[in-house]
Amino acid sequence: MRTMLRESVPPFDAQKVGVELQHEIEQFYYREAAALDRREYDIWLTMLDEDLRYFMPLRRNRLKRFDSTEFSTDDEFASFDDNYAMIKGRVRKLASDVSWSENPGSKTRHLVSNVMIAIGDEPGTYAVDSAFITYRNRAERQVDIWAGERRDVIRRSDTPYGFKISRRTILIDQTTLLSNNLSIFF
Amino acid sequence: MLSNPHRVGPTQLWNDEAIKRLFDERGGYIDPRIYTDRDIYELEQELIFGRSWLLLGHETHVPKAGDFLASYMGEDPVVVARQRDGSIKVFLNQCRHRGMRICREDFGNAKSFTCTYHGWAYDQGGTLVSVPHVERAYGTCPNKQEWSPKQARVETYKGLIFANWDQEAPSLAEWISDAGLYLDFMLDRSERGTEAIGGIQKWIIPCNWKFAAEQFVTDFYHVQYSHISGMISGLPEGMELHEVEMPTEGFQFRSQWGGHGSGFMVNNAAVLAGVMGPEAAQYWMTGPIAEEAAERLGGRDYANAPVGHHITIFPTMSALPGINTVRTWHPRGPDETEIWVFTVIDKDAPADIKELYRRQNVRTFSSGGVFEQDDGENWVEIQRVLRGFQARNTPFNLQMGIDGSTEDHPVYPGRISYVYAEDAARGFYAHWQRMLTERDWATLSLPEPAMAAE
Repeated sequence: MRTMLRESVPPFDAQKVGVELQHEIEQFYYREAAALDRREYDIWLTMLDEDLRYFMPLRRNRLKRFDSTEFSTDDEFASFDDNYAMIKGRVRKLASDVSWSENPGSKTRHLVSNVMIAIGDEPGTYAVDSAFITYRNRAERQVDIWAGERRDVIRRSDTPYGFKISRRTILIDQTTLLSNNLSIFF
Repeated sequence: MLSNPHRVGPTQLWNDEAIKRLFDERGGYIDPRIYTDRDIYELEQELIFGRSWLLLGHETHVPKAGDFLASYMGEDPVVVARQRDGSIKVFLNQCRHRGMRICREDFGNAKSFTCTYHGWAYDQGGTLVSVPHVERAYGTCPNKQEWSPKQARVETYKGLIFANWDQEAPSLAEWISDAGLYLDFMLDRSERGTEAIGGIQKWIIPCNWKFAAEQFVTDFYHVQYSHISGMISGLPEGMELHEVEMPTEGFQFRSQWGGHGSGFMVNNAAVLAGVMGPEAAQYWMTGPIAEEAAERLGGRDYANAPVGHHITIFPTMSALPGINTVRTWHPRGPDETEIWVFTVIDKDAPADIKELYRRQNVRTFSSGGVFEQDDGENWVEIQRVLRGFQARNTPFNLQMGIDGSTEDHPVYPGRISYVYAEDAARGFYAHWQRMLTERDWATLSLPEPAMAAE
């Protein structure tokens, strides 16, 4: 598991990461985004692996020389720190008729970009960094816009969407979260 | 009905008489303009946030000399700093020269705080120590005591750090009055007390701060409807909600003085397990520290019995003992609240329990928490509805349990009623009203009239 959240930009290795792999992984992310935006959470679950860690650390304002503590660590509080069973519980909540913060549902658009792929240690695994902007409209006039970075570990899988996500670390570009809740997935 | 619900005049500031009409304890009416009016909000800043004990953090957030947290008292930014002698100081995060923020980090360790505007420097305790070019620019140095940031009074309650601007206000212990035991169920279970899990989560909810504080003071009632989906999210696979034994037995506490309140179900492990999982519930209710808690806090039958326990210490400190989320509702205008949340855990708890509490708090009571996210939805919508003139001039109903069915409980202190009640909310607003209309502590520290009349 990667715990160093401040990492240098990974170098690009054109020999290992070809156009085809880049295309495949980007298509996977587009379909994941569509599953979330269309609220097809059962499909989204097939894109997650059972050893999942879905983690959004807190982000804090620190002077530059203390940049290494900008994000909360594994033993500190976080905005999300779910395993697969916890995520399934969230989906079960969403599927109920009484999950008021998402019923009526948020209107969302997950935009994923800047996809940077590195070949993982195990065959068929990839460390993928990407940027996101997620737009949400709730109820009549509420608008939230979140930007950030996702650091994923994904692995090939014999499923219709081709990959499963094993690690997702979400680095959100806010310290004080400027929305009334985080009732959607990133 | 409120005797004169909406005739103050568009430009007239609120006088005592008008404020006394905003909440009718005997009738159980509340005027929703207390959640929307800018002038009332400004009065609250002066008379409530300028005179109340406000929660700023836990002692373990600043364990070593020089450790600091940037926080807020109302809308005023403050620095919470551990001193070399072990004491804690709290001072306005404001340079006395031109008012710039002198601490621009959320937390850290520092020997001094230097203003980045002109370089005035203050020591760990907030005393001015250095002014650049002082001799040629000023001749004589500005008096260092006089030109240091405003200091607040600081006291702790079993690990929690509170501060108060008012030198005349009662001590923190007097402030907490008979609500202490309800905090002790979380803070004082063992000799070594609690520690904070690192990190404070912060987010905004566009609603008045009193919606949040009031819910934690009085409102077990909403759980069975607002949070039913939160319970569903934690059910073991294959188990349905109707198989869970829903609680019905519990109590509500209203403090004799101070506007504090609490409520809880009793002896129902399913309530705690439904939020935190069965291991945490077992730890909390029957583990070795539960034994110690029973001895320290007066007996197994009541020290470990409360579950689904909520509490507010007036005005803005709230917690859920057992789940162990602790928060301050910082006001940000009449229609916005900034929530600062952390989690505490018994210092003596095993490492796996600490990890479980950390992770389950993130899952349940945080911005993305499966319980908390639905609170955000409710309060935001109420605040939006109150944009309407008719809506904010139509009183709210605060009558639950108003027939006076309260009792003295043999073990739980304060005025006790059935868990589904609004006696604690009436106490909260009665104290809110007194804080805004009574300027003198000599009368304000007397018992609440409604309670004294009994």
